[in-house]
Amino acid sequence: MPTPTLTQSVLIAILQAILVVVFIFVIVPLTLFAERKVLGYLQQRLGATRIAGTLTGLSGFLNRNMWKMGKIPMLSYWRGIPMLVGDVLKMILKEDILPTKADKFVFFIAPAISFVASVVVFAAISFVPGTLFTLPQWVPVIGGLPVAGAVGDVNVGLLWILGIASVGVYGIVLAGWASNSKYPLLGGLRSGAQIVSYEVPLTLSLLAPVVMSGSLQFSELSRSMAVGLPIWGIVPQFFGFFIYLTCGFAETNRMPFDMPEAENELVAGFHTEYSGMKFGFFYLAEYINMTVVAAIASAFFLGGPWLLPFGLQGLFNHFLSPHLPALLVTFLCEPHAIFFVGKIILLLFVYIWVRGTIPRYRYDQVMAVAWKYFIPLTLVNLMLAALVRYFAV
Amino acid sequence: MHKFLKTLIPFDIAKGMLITGKHFSKVFFSANRRKVPFHVVSEYPEVPAKMQPRFRGRLQLLRDEAGEIKCVCCMACEKICPTQVITIESDKKEVRKTKLPTRYDFEMERCIFCEFCVESCGFDSIILNHQFELAVYNREDMSIAMDGKFQNMFGISPVAKYSVADEKD
Repeated sequence: MPTPTLTQSVLIAILQAILVVVFIFVIVPLTLFAERKVLGYLQQRLGATRIAGTLTGLSGFLNRNMWKMGKIPMLSYWRGIPMLVGDVLKMILKEDILPTKADKFVFFIAPAISFVASVVVFAAISFVPGTLFTLPQWVPVIGGLPVAGAVGDVNVGLLWILGIASVGVYGIVLAGWASNSKYPLLGGLRSGAQIVSYEVPLTLSLLAPVVMSGSLQFSELSRSMAVGLPIWGIVPQFFGFFIYLTCGFAETNRMPFDMPEAENELVAGFHTEYSGMKFGFFYLAEYINMTVVAAIASAFFLGGPWLLPFGLQGLFNHFLSPHLPALLVTFLCEPHAIFFVGKIILLLFVYIWVRGTIPRYRYDQVMAVAWKYFIPLTLVNLMLAALVRYFAV
Repeated sequence: MHKFLKTLIPFDIAKGMLITGKHFSKVFFSANRRKVPFHVVSEYPEVPAKMQPRFRGRLQLLRDEAGEIKCVCCMACEKICPTQVITIESDKKEVRKTKLPTRYDFEMERCIFCEFCVESCGFDSIILNHQFELAVYNREDMSIAMDGKFQNMFGISPVAKYSVADEKD
């Protein structure tokens, strides 16, 4: 295999970046759609079943004859799947309103900060350790070269992820401040306080996998938590997993902890004054952050790109893989990006499930949970991880 | 200590998640599936609503297999009706062995849907069908007769043509 030149490396990196963005823009509308449907099913509704709202507009035009004949509007046959496009189109097509007294530059830059900070995190997330696929020979400049499973699988990947993810709060706080309005300011302040509080237990709960694997590189962490141990990381890190997931909910401002957007207290929180695609960027950033949290949880605690469920991957690979046929070995014992994506989707479902179940906490309860319970618990959990590291691994 | 343990081990949250999960699976495995007999939710105005068999809708006169009106004008329903919404006039001349109604009026606006008339009927000639959308634009349409054009005693009214699954039990 030839060593790639600089041009080739740059081209491959651009290709990987495009792939990551494509992945994001596929999974985010799907999550939006799933949010409507799954939340509906959880509340014994059907969720979105059509985009045919009225007799006017695009959907009315498409459905004009159906309404006239007294029949079902055409788009409703597809069980709300047009909503996939409709949600995104709505963001793009709506009018973008700029408040008169807003700080215009900060008002513009805030959603960009939020969005970029959430996308850039994906640089260090490795979908599969090693090669994702090898380019075919007919590709002009970069033919025959392998494409790695991560854009930049750097040695301090976890630090990068945590650092950049906490930049996202700037977007929220700046948005609240630049709107020059009471509710966004309160929402932004709440969000700042909440994210700063939950950053601590989140990082501490992610320290436990670091202690157990002795590395900060994402792929190495994922590998050693899935196959380095005899069982998946969720078993020795049971509390760690749940604390991490809860802190992830809080970090992404999701339902039990959606203080910044508390609809009945602050109109819509920090994005009250936002509309159109600027609001869309906040919306997208929230869902991308959800995907990031799900990706980290599935990589560190749920075995990452390895398939075999509920632990035993390490044992299985060690004892059984020499005796199995090659196809099964490829399927069961080797990492595949598709399993990783599947676990991400599963965790996104859990996100929506939790949103449909647990009502919002009071603000002081949110703070109390973080400081009084999670931080001591994560410290205990860290010691547990150290014990596991000392005796077992 | 008890409170601490309760916070530490979130049984309540797990219970809640189980409940919503049950709801999810119930809807997920029944929604939009034809073979499932009972749907938790249905797309009502487009898909006809299926009522329980004991549902009491509008009063309806039945015909037998030959197309004859089953009613024999015994006046049992008219007598038992608490709000006296049924008016029957019978034909004197004998077309068949029993009498035949020439008028069977039903004032739906005063009807309380108690089903006494159906219970009192000895010939099974009337039922309360499954039509539940009984709104009309004119008040006169509430008075239903045997020969009404908009709606009569023999069929479900056109208001409900999308919404009532036509089944007679």
